[in-house]
Amino acid sequence: MEKKEKSFNLKLYAAVAFFAVLALLILITALTFKAKYTAYHPEEVARNYVDTIAQTGDGYNAYKTALVSKSQKYGDFIREYYMNPVIYRDTAYKPGDDIKKCGYKGYNEESCQGEKTKNDDGSLQGQVIDTMYDYYVELVSNGWDDYDTIFAKYFAKLVEVRKEVFGDDYITDEIMFTALEGNVATYGESLTGTEDEFDKNTGKQTSFKSIGAYQTAYGEDYKLTTTVKTEKDMDLSAYKAGLSAETLATYGVQADDIRAVKCYTVAVSTADGKAVTEADVVVAQIKNSWYVDNTATDTSSLYGFCK
Amino acid sequence: MKKYMKKSEIWTFGIGLFGVALMTGWMPDYTATFFADFAFKGKGFDSDVMANMISLVFLVAGIVGAVCELVIGYLVDNTRTKFGKVKPWVGFGVVPLALVAMLVFVAPNTNSQTAAIIWMFVIYSLYTAFSCAVESPANCFGSLCSPNPSERSSAISIASFLRSVGQSGGMVVVLVVGLIMKAVMGEQQYRNAEGRGLDLVISTAVCALGLILFTMIFFTNNKENVPFTQEKVSLKDAIKVVFTYKNLLMVSLTKLCGFGRGVYGTVSLYIAIYLLGSKDLKLALLLPMGIGTAVGTLLVNLVLKKFSTKQTFILFCVYGASSMGILFLVSRGIGFNDGLIIPFLILNFFCGLQHGNTNVTPNIMIADCVDEIEYKTGKRQDGLAYAGYGLFSKVASAFTKGLGPWLLYTWSGYMVSTDANIAYAAQTDATLNKLLMIYTIIPAVFVILQGVPILFYDMVGEKKEMITKALEERRAAAKLAEPSDAENA
Repeated sequence: MEKKEKSFNLKLYAAVAFFAVLALLILITALTFKAKYTAYHPEEVARNYVDTIAQTGDGYNAYKTALVSKSQKYGDFIREYYMNPVIYRDTAYKPGDDIKKCGYKGYNEESCQGEKTKNDDGSLQGQVIDTMYDYYVELVSNGWDDYDTIFAKYFAKLVEVRKEVFGDDYITDEIMFTALEGNVATYGESLTGTEDEFDKNTGKQTSFKSIGAYQTAYGEDYKLTTTVKTEKDMDLSAYKAGLSAETLATYGVQADDIRAVKCYTVAVSTADGKAVTEADVVVAQIKNSWYVDNTATDTSSLYGFCK
Repeated sequence: MKKYMKKSEIWTFGIGLFGVALMTGWMPDYTATFFADFAFKGKGFDSDVMANMISLVFLVAGIVGAVCELVIGYLVDNTRTKFGKVKPWVGFGVVPLALVAMLVFVAPNTNSQTAAIIWMFVIYSLYTAFSCAVESPANCFGSLCSPNPSERSSAISIASFLRSVGQSGGMVVVLVVGLIMKAVMGEQQYRNAEGRGLDLVISTAVCALGLILFTMIFFTNNKENVPFTQEKVSLKDAIKVVFTYKNLLMVSLTKLCGFGRGVYGTVSLYIAIYLLGSKDLKLALLLPMGIGTAVGTLLVNLVLKKFSTKQTFILFCVYGASSMGILFLVSRGIGFNDGLIIPFLILNFFCGLQHGNTNVTPNIMIADCVDEIEYKTGKRQDGLAYAGYGLFSKVASAFTKGLGPWLLYTWSGYMVSTDANIAYAAQTDATLNKLLMIYTIIPAVFVILQGVPILFYDMVGEKKEMITKALEERRAAAKLAEPSDAENA
């Protein structure tokens, strides 16, 4: 019998190669996602939350992994509950309203811009941010846990300060974010210190060296590390019973969505292992992701601990 | 003249190049941002050292790529298999390429900056080598798909069009991946994942999958219709092919002479900010040019039906330089204000048309040069011919990357903002004028320069017809002389 020559099956090779690569790509992506996306790791969620606050006093950005950011972008939450009420203060605006549909006219209209706003090259806006800084420091002296008061008071004051500098009522969410985030960054630098910086192209100095509060307390080359000290499972029913349905509603969360809850004690230490402060962080699981329950976590110990 | 390709083959060749371009177009820019912004986030590495090292990674990868172009070209021309000499490189090379590309976006969890830097050098050089091993042969398939120059030109035109679409495909992938992630995870959780570069990881996986899928369609459906010659190619021959055949050298020199064409890319962000009023308009600025490029790629195919490759190339060079000159004059006439936005974007589309020429015509010319070299030497050296062109392209690209920033930051007198609250400082009129020149007049000069070598190109008209006919006869005679299967048995 004639022996048939075995030929390479191109289509079979193509199918095997495609599915083999597909499987490997899924595996690599899944492993990378699992390793990098901290929301799947309650311990990391708690540690990161403390780390963000402890390193630069940034309670503002720490909320990005908290329940407050569960259902919508953190920035959108701030717009809806704190910025829009200021911008549309002369209308019937309430959180959740569709501004365009309702036809609200706010102070972000071009018609509200005065001459100084129209001609500002950024220096007057810089003056506003600088003026707001002391007020920001005063507001966050006990930390960011009461964000409701901080946002409400800060933006109300910003409108006043801006009017003094520019002479008009013009205000937008961009102006508000720029001022607030500028102050948050400056506050962080007051703790960490800054280095001399030069523009790479012109050689001009763009910022100057300063000594931060942490450097004064722990040395110029200080390093703060955060570690989870203890983990505690909490009673889910008791925890849910203590939640404020009204607050959760603003986060787009219901108590029944929460599947598990844990509490981690996270310690902050210097490079030589000396503990400087710690905080208990409550984390709640919704579906597969974990979020810091900002309503049940006290972070006040993470501010001003170096004094 | 006889047709050699099935209709589906013309399209699947393009689909294959689309798949390769999807991956190779995605990688450089997004790798740079991944290395700089996400790979070692929070590790506390010195940012200046990392920035310098990332530049060096790409410089080294460029050198690796240039060397690999020649090595792969040489190896391709010495490959003899029943599938042909190019197809095995593409069909079998995509599997490791897809996996290595994916691994570029999986950074090691290390606290050592030295280890991180070594990893960047190794993984990206490895990726560059594998991408050369697939992309270079895939591009040179055009000269092997058909001995019929007219059929070959059509196939190359369509493939070049799909390749240019594929090069920007990654931008769509990352957009769609982002939308899906937002829908699944919620806005803020998506932002958190994006902050760790996870959208880039998923987008790379999608591009890698696209690479495999589209390349396998090509691999199973297309065949090489130009038989390879049996003589082995020596290293000496390889160098000779790249640097001594006049017509091939002239086509390669277009890249080198026109290296400054691409400096407009360096300044596009600043054109959007200072001339059009917002950095958000950068995409709006590049989109009409991208659409113009795609339309230009198809347009070239029509022009080639009426004119020779030489005439087409020169015609588009003159057109390209003129369109950029007009853009300059119109911009100066209207002034840098809101009224400029619409005319600028429309003219940008017309400026984009010329890029269709540089995407298509040189590839057709190289295929013709391969015929000429085979006619003269009896050896068909597709791999080396395309490798030579690729080598010149890489050198030209390195020059562009050097010239662009020099023009922008030194020659134009650009002032950097020193105020923390002001992102971009106000510029003088002289600087704004120079920015506009970097976008229009300077590339226009290089567009003219790239046409100069083609004035000496002569693989057209009667000579081309004579060579095509002679090769056809030679191949027919070789086929007759081959011992049949029965005789072999």
